Amino acid sequence: MRTAYELAVVLTKSQLRGYQRRRLMARIFGDPRIILVLDALFLVVPALLFYMLSGALPSGIEGSLRELEVEALAGIPTAIAFMVILFGVLSEISQAAESMSTDLVNWLPITPSEYVAGSTMSLTYTYSFMLSFLLGVSLGPALRFGMILVWGASALMAVLSLFIGACVVELLRSVTNRISSSFYKKSGRSGIFVRLALTIVVLVFVQLLFSGRIVVYLLQGIMLTVRVAWFVPVVWPSLAVLAGSQGNTLTFVSFAGMTFAFFLILFGLAVRLRAIYWVPIPVSIRLTNQAYHPLRRITILPGFGSAEAAIFRKDMRSLTRRREMTRFLAIPFVLVVSLSISLLPISGTAVPEGLGFFALIPLYVIPLTVFSAVVSMTSLGQEGSAVWNIYVAPITARQLLKAKILSALLLGLAFSVTMAIFLGVLLRIATVHIVLLVTLGIAIVLGQSAMGMYFGARFPDFREMIRSRFISVWGSLIGTFLCLLLAMLTALPILLSIYVRRIITYDFAIVTFAIGLILFFVGWKLAERQIRTLIQEIRV
Amino acid sequence: MQALEVSGVTKTFGERRAVDGVSLAVNQGEILGLLGPNGSGKSTLMKIIVGILKPDAGAIQVLGNDATKDPTAVKRIVGFVPESPRLYEFLSGIEYLDFVADVHGLVPSAKHERISHFLKALDLEGRENELINGYSQGMKQKLAIIAGLLHRPQLLVMDEPLNSLDPRSARIVKDLIHKLRDDGVATIFSTHVLEIADAICDRIVIMDAGRVVEQGSTGDLKAKAGTPGSTLEEVFLKLTGTSDTREIVEALSH
Repeated sequence: MRTAYELAVVLTKSQLRGYQRRRLMARIFGDPRIILVLDALFLVVPALLFYMLSGALPSGIEGSLRELEVEALAGIPTAIAFMVILFGVLSEISQAAESMSTDLVNWLPITPSEYVAGSTMSLTYTYSFMLSFLLGVSLGPALRFGMILVWGASALMAVLSLFIGACVVELLRSVTNRISSSFYKKSGRSGIFVRLALTIVVLVFVQLLFSGRIVVYLLQGIMLTVRVAWFVPVVWPSLAVLAGSQGNTLTFVSFAGMTFAFFLILFGLAVRLRAIYWVPIPVSIRLTNQAYHPLRRITILPGFGSAEAAIFRKDMRSLTRRREMTRFLAIPFVLVVSLSISLLPISGTAVPEGLGFFALIPLYVIPLTVFSAVVSMTSLGQEGSAVWNIYVAPITARQLLKAKILSALLLGLAFSVTMAIFLGVLLRIATVHIVLLVTLGIAIVLGQSAMGMYFGARFPDFREMIRSRFISVWGSLIGTFLCLLLAMLTALPILLSIYVRRIITYDFAIVTFAIGLILFFVGWKLAERQIRTLIQEIRV
Repeated sequence: MQALEVSGVTKTFGERRAVDGVSLAVNQGEILGLLGPNGSGKSTLMKIIVGILKPDAGAIQVLGNDATKDPTAVKRIVGFVPESPRLYEFLSGIEYLDFVADVHGLVPSAKHERISHFLKALDLEGRENELINGYSQGMKQKLAIIAGLLHRPQLLVMDEPLNSLDPRSARIVKDLIHKLRDDGVATIFSTHVLEIADAICDRIVIMDAGRVVEQGSTGDLKAKAGTPGSTLEEVFLKLTGTSDTREIVEALSH
């Protein structure tokens, strides 16, 4: 147990310090004790705030508030498991391959169960501030309404859920490592795509599996009853709390015991998988057995020479082969799944009422803008420490910009069209509206690709750490915020058209497209100037 | 004719002056050895020469091209092998070399001929289709050397290129540098292995604390050391003020 604890401390420090680049921030937030401070703050402050708030509300609504408090206390355990898994998955897919494992654990006398226990404790501790916040928010009203015992039950089940979530993340690590090792070893070039697809499928599947809403929704269709939640282990902690709130001790103990058993099963499974796959060993991957025959490259665009084409090809390979790049390909899938979860009603009807085209635009614009801007902003920084290859190459700022912007444009356009069609099918909107969405999407992608490139060149981060960002924190914040503003500006004519005229007219779509083009040219000029400055001197 | 002329180059990082008024020249078909203790400014000077760092002061001319005013022109004729090169690990060896060749605008026939030739010479034939992240450090070093030579550079800048190489490959690289010298290629070559410098360099520059403390042929340097029969190591230790090694070893062994 001592080994597991010490390993947990090391892993927690690694988790915390992987994010911190600045010396002062690293000193403050690199110390695991900061989490205890955050835990205390996140528990006490919301508790006091909500205690006072619940006391200030009119007494007439106390009954409704009590019901709401019970629902909140029951929901916390399931919510915390979902949050840990979501954050764990996002953290997992954003890690660089070389940072994924440490050889040290192979040499030290650490058993798989000690490793899994240490890793689980580390994850649990790292994400405990989220649990503190949720418990803090619910503690105030619980004290006010004399429901402290129910709150205690909820806290107990939430801690168990936190460990369940951490175990699932640990399981996922082993599974994704297995995918990478076995497919790389066996199937070369095609294996890379299979591995990428499987990784995304696993991530999306886990997201679905641990969304109680989707599981219940699916089971509803089969069993035609809402009471099937009984079979879903992730909702057992919540059912335990509900039983506790009704004074049903036997049911509470049963569900709590089943939750604990579920945790033990997951822990055992994680230990088993870790024992089989342990830390992944880098495999020599042969892409092809064919002899080398260089082909005369056909330039894909006017003014697109061999240097630009070479950089473009390299970036596309990077996207499909680098583990830390999987997140960029996973973002559209995860967004689409999240969107589906939020749009699909629990009752089974296909389209939520009252969701007009006007409301649809932000739903389309925001994910598209974020995706397009992020892909573009990180395009230069992803060169990492191999960026010297670009610096020693006889290429100009314009050549580099052309090569980099093409991949951002292609990915953005693919996402915009897919998303428009997906929304069109899911919400059964008219074809003419889908065309309009695609037009808006192209305009946004044009603007965001060029503007994002400027921010990427202005605030690049070439350092390779546990979680490479490829762009500085400030650059990312400023860039995303301004890109969202510019995207809203691009969408404004269409929004005005709907709001003022109540119908959609194409002249406004043309204005939107023109704004996209203008932003593209402005962004291009800014980015080219910034890249010229950037490539004058290496920063690594 | 001079392939490289460095005049009064200075580079400061924060308060640390990494290169301090360095002047040197390399003729076409000459191999210049750059020696110096760790942190003496060799790598910084090499990065300035190849145009990836900007000097704070001074001028660099590479075959008539001003490296500060037209770095792109200089990069076309310079080959660079950095110390511990970081390559694109997600590419296969052949894809990486193909990338470098395309960036330099090599036509397919020249690309095929040169890549195949170097892969065979440096024992990478048969491993070229594997991803670089599975390569050993020595294999990565060989790949970086090939990448630096692919476009037939007229000036070759190599920062400790023999690190991690097996004896056979190291010998091939040394012979290759000699062969390139015969073809008129100028080479700047840094190393900590003084026997190598002694064996392959026509002239040696010794740097310490960002400055050139001595330069000349190995014979000249040994003569300047003042003791007949001195080795290059003794000259180096004397010039860089690190000749008190015996006391250090004594202290460390207790």
